[in-house]
Amino acid sequence: MSTFPNHRCESCESSLGSPDSMAAFESRRSCLLKMGRGLAGLALGVMLHRESAAAAHAWSPPDGLPHFAPKAKNVIWLFMNGGVSHMESFDPKPMLTKYAGKTIAETPFADTQDPKKLALERLVVPDANGNQRNTLYPLQVGFRRHGESGIEVSDWFPHIARNVDRLAVVRSMWTTDSNHGAQTQFHSGRHRNDGDFPTLGAWVHYGLGSLNDNLPQFISIGTREYWNKRDGYYLGPAHDAVPMRIDPSNPLDFGQPQRPLAAGEQAIGVELIRELNGMRGGLYPHDPALAARIASYELAFKMQRSVPEALDFSQETEATKKLYGLDLPHCREFGAQLLASRRLVEKGVRFIQIQHGGGGAGAWDAHSGLKGNHESLSRAVDQPVGALLEDLDQRGMLEETMVVFATEFGRTPGSQGADGRDHHIFGFSVWMAGGGLKRGVVHGATDEIGFHAVENRHYVTDIHATILRQLGLDPRKLEVPGRKRLEIDYGVPIGEIIA
Amino acid sequence: MNHHLGKVKVRLSSSNPPAFTFRGFSVAMPILFLIRSVTVGRWVAVAVLAGAIHASHEPLGRANERVDYERDVKPIFAARCFACHGALKQEGGLRLDTGASARRGGDSGEAIAPGDVESSPLIARVTAEDLSERMPPEGEPLEPEQAAMLAAWIAQGADSPADEKPETDPREHWAFRPVVRPSVPEPADAGWGRNPIDAFIADYQQRHGLVPQVEATRAELIRRLYLDLVGLPPTFEELASVNAVQSADWYERLADRLLDDPRHGERWARHWMDIWRYSDWWGLGDQLRNSQLHIWHWRDWIVESLNADTPYDEMVRLMLAADELHPNDLDKLRASGFLARNYVLFNRNQWMDETVEHVGKAFLGLTLNCAKCHDHKYDPIEQVDYYRMRAFFEPYHVRLDVVPGEADLSRDGIPRAFDGAVDAPTYLFVRGQEAQPDTSTVISPGVPKLLAFHELNVEPTPLPAEAWQPERRAWVREAYLAAADKNVAAAEGGVAAAISRPAATEDATKAAIADAERRVAEQTLVAALMERRSVKARFDAMQAAWANVDDATPNATLATAEKAKTAEAVAAERQAAVAKANRSVADVELRLLRAAADAKAPLETELNTARQALEEAKKLAATPATESDRFTPLMGAKWTPTRFLNSTADDPTVTFAPQSTGRRTALAEWITDDRNPLTARVAVNHLWTRHFGAPLVATTFDFGRKGNPPAHVELLDWLAAELMESGWSMKHIHRLIVNSATYRMSSSIAWRESNLASDPDNAGWWRRAPIRLESQAVRDSILSLAGTLDLTRGGPPVIPAEQAASHRRSLYFFHSNNDREMFLTAFDEATVTECYRREESIVPQQALALTNSQLVLDSSKLIAERITKLQEADSPASDDAEFVRRAFHALLGIAASDGEIASSLQALESWRQHPEQTERSPRANLIWVLLNHNDFVTLR
Repeated sequence: MSTFPNHRCESCESSLGSPDSMAAFESRRSCLLKMGRGLAGLALGVMLHRESAAAAHAWSPPDGLPHFAPKAKNVIWLFMNGGVSHMESFDPKPMLTKYAGKTIAETPFADTQDPKKLALERLVVPDANGNQRNTLYPLQVGFRRHGESGIEVSDWFPHIARNVDRLAVVRSMWTTDSNHGAQTQFHSGRHRNDGDFPTLGAWVHYGLGSLNDNLPQFISIGTREYWNKRDGYYLGPAHDAVPMRIDPSNPLDFGQPQRPLAAGEQAIGVELIRELNGMRGGLYPHDPALAARIASYELAFKMQRSVPEALDFSQETEATKKLYGLDLPHCREFGAQLLASRRLVEKGVRFIQIQHGGGGAGAWDAHSGLKGNHESLSRAVDQPVGALLEDLDQRGMLEETMVVFATEFGRTPGSQGADGRDHHIFGFSVWMAGGGLKRGVVHGATDEIGFHAVENRHYVTDIHATILRQLGLDPRKLEVPGRKRLEIDYGVPIGEIIA
Repeated sequence: MNHHLGKVKVRLSSSNPPAFTFRGFSVAMPILFLIRSVTVGRWVAVAVLAGAIHASHEPLGRANERVDYERDVKPIFAARCFACHGALKQEGGLRLDTGASARRGGDSGEAIAPGDVESSPLIARVTAEDLSERMPPEGEPLEPEQAAMLAAWIAQGADSPADEKPETDPREHWAFRPVVRPSVPEPADAGWGRNPIDAFIADYQQRHGLVPQVEATRAELIRRLYLDLVGLPPTFEELASVNAVQSADWYERLADRLLDDPRHGERWARHWMDIWRYSDWWGLGDQLRNSQLHIWHWRDWIVESLNADTPYDEMVRLMLAADELHPNDLDKLRASGFLARNYVLFNRNQWMDETVEHVGKAFLGLTLNCAKCHDHKYDPIEQVDYYRMRAFFEPYHVRLDVVPGEADLSRDGIPRAFDGAVDAPTYLFVRGQEAQPDTSTVISPGVPKLLAFHELNVEPTPLPAEAWQPERRAWVREAYLAAADKNVAAAEGGVAAAISRPAATEDATKAAIADAERRVAEQTLVAALMERRSVKARFDAMQAAWANVDDATPNATLATAEKAKTAEAVAAERQAAVAKANRSVADVELRLLRAAADAKAPLETELNTARQALEEAKKLAATPATESDRFTPLMGAKWTPTRFLNSTADDPTVTFAPQSTGRRTALAEWITDDRNPLTARVAVNHLWTRHFGAPLVATTFDFGRKGNPPAHVELLDWLAAELMESGWSMKHIHRLIVNSATYRMSSSIAWRESNLASDPDNAGWWRRAPIRLESQAVRDSILSLAGTLDLTRGGPPVIPAEQAASHRRSLYFFHSNNDREMFLTAFDEATVTECYRREESIVPQQALALTNSQLVLDSSKLIAERITKLQEADSPASDDAEFVRRAFHALLGIAASDGEIASSLQALESWRQHPEQTERSPRANLIWVLLNHNDFVTLR
């Protein structure tokens, strides 16, 4: 169970590193930055050799290898912006219907309002939203048990429900930002008031080498609001996700020549670039930057072919396309994103981050009209997500691919206005599947009205820790000198859902 | 397994492989006893026979090895104990920075009993379960193997070397001592150097057996000077003219010329904009949440100041306190954009935290932010010092001042700081938590004791009336009247147009519409005229009021005049309102006429409302003004509203006060005082870093004790002294640096491989470090070579939607958290929130941007055409080899080798032969290749 450390400190120097590590760090770091990541094995041998015993305490940058045997290789991170109601998705609460219209104080669950329990919240600013709503609002959708595991899922997610025996559902999440800064918080583990910190995907990109140098290793699909637009922060822009569009003719920025240039012409040029750079090697021996640049051109040239290939669905069967709902207007967009994700994972992309309903507060932010909102958004994502799980599993890929279905917070058990629910940080659900996790399990629980996570509580970084564990990374070994990480940043892997 | 050994319960863990699990972490240990002392009642971890951390992978045979104090014990003390029990602080009179002082103990007696672990309070404290007992009191407890190591050391007698030196006194830290100009060394081999910088470097090199690299080629030096000093490669014309200079001092003359070039200010402004966190505004949609509108005025001030060689200390003073030092000087007020940029709509603490952190890092190289929650672990900064620093800034808010010629603040205005919340108290936050202010004590502004060299002089600063009543500024009235005149002129044009339109006599509806259009035009003109009259009357009334207030003695004439003018202004404003309402009615009438039959109903309602409004306006205008009636004053500045209290409404207005607290002036004086040991050192380090691609002090934002002393501290001090004694002239330092032999070396390692073994990291500056050009320099260079760079200086930033088509220098691009310009992003664009150094990554996205972008593909054609044309002047245009030579020289600063020429010629031929040719010429393709050459994005 995670708790906050007894104090916070934003970015002060680590008390762990020894002072004499700084100078050594500086030169190695600048060399490494010049090398860039994703150029695994490239002239790195010299730079990255293990430090001698004398410098055993000195910091050294990641060598691109896992710290221990990984169970998973790839991550498909699905993030529902705005805040999905946990009670109307993966943590149904019939008590809401039973006590509908009553204030919480009038129900047997009055103790949920204990101010000590509510003190979790850290405000950016008082706001009309992000408040407690005390009149219980009935469930807006039915639910039933599914699969052999008998896990309850709401009727808005029939396709995911069909796959429930593949999921590890965590019903005991909590966070601290009661406004949409929680979007960032779910990715970085830090509250907005603390400043900007690298996201999980950036850490993975920083820590692990490439699975396939022909493709960017960290891809972002979908709209992102300004507070959640970047990933690298102090790890550097080279660890920002590469934005990708599901458009084979123009998937990446600069992925294709923006002016007519025949492939053959380009090939002659790329060969000449290689040759000319190579010739400079005589004048500039031992220049790691030159070697890295030569390699980066080879990768880039391959990338501009491999990326459109990954998005070319003509090689997919009609049945597969139908499975993802590409023939259905209501879920075509997300279906194409997920089919592309499967293809990218197949080709060795490490981390794909998909933002659903991103921009502003986020589409799922159902302060009013929750029923209509969630009904239509779940239709947009449900079938593609179910398809992804089945497709990955059929191909044997789910074993090494983690699928994460997450959102910034849940929604209040009480009603906001006539027919909405407000932001709710004290308890909400996410689920993960594959990558060596248990299948068909529920972990943690909220109380009977879905207010507080009460069993096996988990802060958002426990999800990060679980993913890093499965990828073979120890976040404590990804230290960056001059940047203090707190206990809460590391999180604790959720051992109970790991197979 | 558990054994009971008398009073002591021992759990022996020596399974194979030996492992010990503590709080979820598995720790490999040869043999570890956890002893629960029954008498003391707590667990004590003791590695009686431990080889501990370093032996964890060793066979058990090493278990008898003695603990090595220096290797095994001291690092634990240093990492976890020195902060409170070392040179910085001696809590409880105890120091643990030497073995001897550890054995000596503290005020309450011994800390360790050599040979007797159980009687050693130190072990009891580091393993205490009770948090009020446990050491260290903050953060995680010691790892069990660390505690075990300490115990083993004590068990073995707690030996330490006799000659061990204690931690140095923080006052002796190199960066906290006053800057004293060191004498310039006289190296044995003086032949190499050109100026004192080289004497320091040569002295170091000769002491370390390093041999300096040869000077770079002339072509390389020209490109280096241009890119370093103006951020652009030489144009073809410039290159030709520099090459034509034969005099021995061509280099120095070129350096002087480039330092005087206005493009120099733009180049170096971008560096300082990184450090000073320049950012255009960002927020959700249209809601401004960070930084300010029109913050570009600050950017322009930076550019202009650098070009004018405004002293660095003056620039710092203005950025921190221009509003107190020059309260009515708009040009100088632009500097306080530095503070205006820190605006945060929703959260004052975040705003203050960022301000303290980055004032500390940027100007002082102090990580003040580390003392927000607790005393600084390395530097003599107490937690309260953090809040003392915050108190300097506590009163300041941000406002926009009207600039000459523009009365509309949404279109232009100077974003600037002012002391508004003059009574806002500063409290220390317990453990840094904003929910826990210690309201028992109001914190006054102050600086860390160790860095104080004089009594801080915080004097409230009276402000001239124009500063806190900016509507008094002459240009404000002019701006409003000019805007009113402009409206009148536009309305007159409207009337003329309506009248000149031929009358539509045939169609009654059309005629009615034409009539109504004419009425709208006429009413618009009347409204504009009345508004102009209202503006004039209101300014007249305001001036009468000022005259009355400014007169020291009661003056009946002035008072009467004020009353009369006020009444006139009230009346004029009311009449203007009538005219405006008339215009509205005419407008709705026109729209009603134009509307289709089924769309008329809502317009009828609107017309009724407009007519009612008109009646009310008329009624009010007919009422004579009473003494209590007030007109709407015209603003000379507008407070930028905050929403600290509730995000759905602005906070109560912060008004402009007739005096400022003087706090920031006091801070600025302390920072820029020659006695401040940090300011000049930090500044010259920033300059050095950008000239040389690597800093003298590795942590450019942290000169504290955490970092290693720099290898060239004397050189740094010499430069700092030069900066101050030159009157803080940055151009003086630029000149010294670029004219040094150190700067002029080649960046190659060739022929100097012998240096690699002893100094692979170039600590002795025996060669120049190649620099991956910054994002802006890459883009600007391409445009410049293509001849399409738009050198317009200053003004509002190029917004994202217009950037693709813009040829302005990149520093003029809108730079904020809302958007990413993808070409610049690929080359490690400055992070908006903090960028003390640029990253220099090499990633495939850069290759894609350079091979595929419209910018490069278009520019390569233009560059090829330019070179071909220049070539025509003095050699056969068809000579490809000549073209190749010229292209290498201009784009890369390289004299092309035979091999490079041969390969290029061969590629030209291949392109010519290629069957699927586009309209691109082979020469354009060659230029495209050279723009992708490693040395194009590298400053050799």
